[in-house]
Amino acid sequence: MGELQAVPWALIAPLLFIQLILMVVALIDLSRIHATNGPKWLWVIIIIFGNLLGSIVYFIIGRKQS
Amino acid sequence: MSQFKVLVGKELRESWRSFKLLWLPLVFILLGVSDPILNYYMMDILKAVGGIPEGFQMVMPEFSAADIIAASTGQFQSIGLIVLIATFVGTISRERQNGTATLLYVRPISHSALFLSKWFVATLVAMISVIAGYAASLYYTVILYGPVEWNRFIAMLATYLLWICLVMALTVAMSASFKTVVAATLTIFLVIGGTIFESLVGSFISVSPWKLPSSSLALLSDFYDGTDFIINLCLSFGLLIIFILIGIMMCKSNASTTKI
Repeated sequence: MGELQAVPWALIAPLLFIQLILMVVALIDLSRIHATNGPKWLWVIIIIFGNLLGSIVYFIIGRKQS
Repeated sequence: MSQFKVLVGKELRESWRSFKLLWLPLVFILLGVSDPILNYYMMDILKAVGGIPEGFQMVMPEFSAADIIAASTGQFQSIGLIVLIATFVGTISRERQNGTATLLYVRPISHSALFLSKWFVATLVAMISVIAGYAASLYYTVILYGPVEWNRFIAMLATYLLWICLVMALTVAMSASFKTVVAATLTIFLVIGGTIFESLVGSFISVSPWKLPSSSLALLSDFYDGTDFIINLCLSFGLLIIFILIGIMMCKSNASTTKI
């Protein structure tokens, strides 16, 4: 427990929070969109486990604009 | 003018509905925040990862606030610019390829209003993202490393925003001229390749538009040489106008390539 308390949460928390928002936005967009490039379940995995890069990659190449 | 306003409204709505207005600033905030924190905790991270032998001494460089802002700018220059270009490079060409543009082109709209609205909104979103990123970076830098002089920071930000303006004008003009893939390749090659070229042999050339980011950072330090700065600014403004004119021309002449 001591190690967890030693982490300066005041500095790190905004970073985690922004990452979480980005992930949630990507997932909301994924649930609304009609079709993606590649299967949808794969994008869910990429967004959740590929933290920052996963969401960016989804927004750039995952969305099918048509 | 009224056409321009309507088209800008449409573009803004589009960028809001596709979450561009939300996720691009978030990406830039993350990029801006990561460098101050990473450099501040570098020693702790190395200790936690392990592998440092007993009695190993390492002197970490003392970073000043300006160094950290420069590091954040480096992030924006590589990952940030690629993300921005990849997002906006399809803004005209993709509409042509999938046929949505026919809805617009059958109406008597002026092509300059069409192009200018696209460029305006792309630049606006990019600027909001960059300002958000720098604000986050500045916040952490001031907390962890000490103050930055405000008037210098604002001068730096303004210069960097001109560079972003230029990059977005090039991106949208390329999008008007070529298909998406070609446009993306050319733009990334010109912008990123030009930046690498500038960092390799930039010290031999005094005037080039790729100098804008580095000279914006030089504005932040105590000693900067402002002789070529004004020439660079004028050159960039000139290039900006040329890109916009090329974009409008290509927008008009390529209108017939729209898929119906």
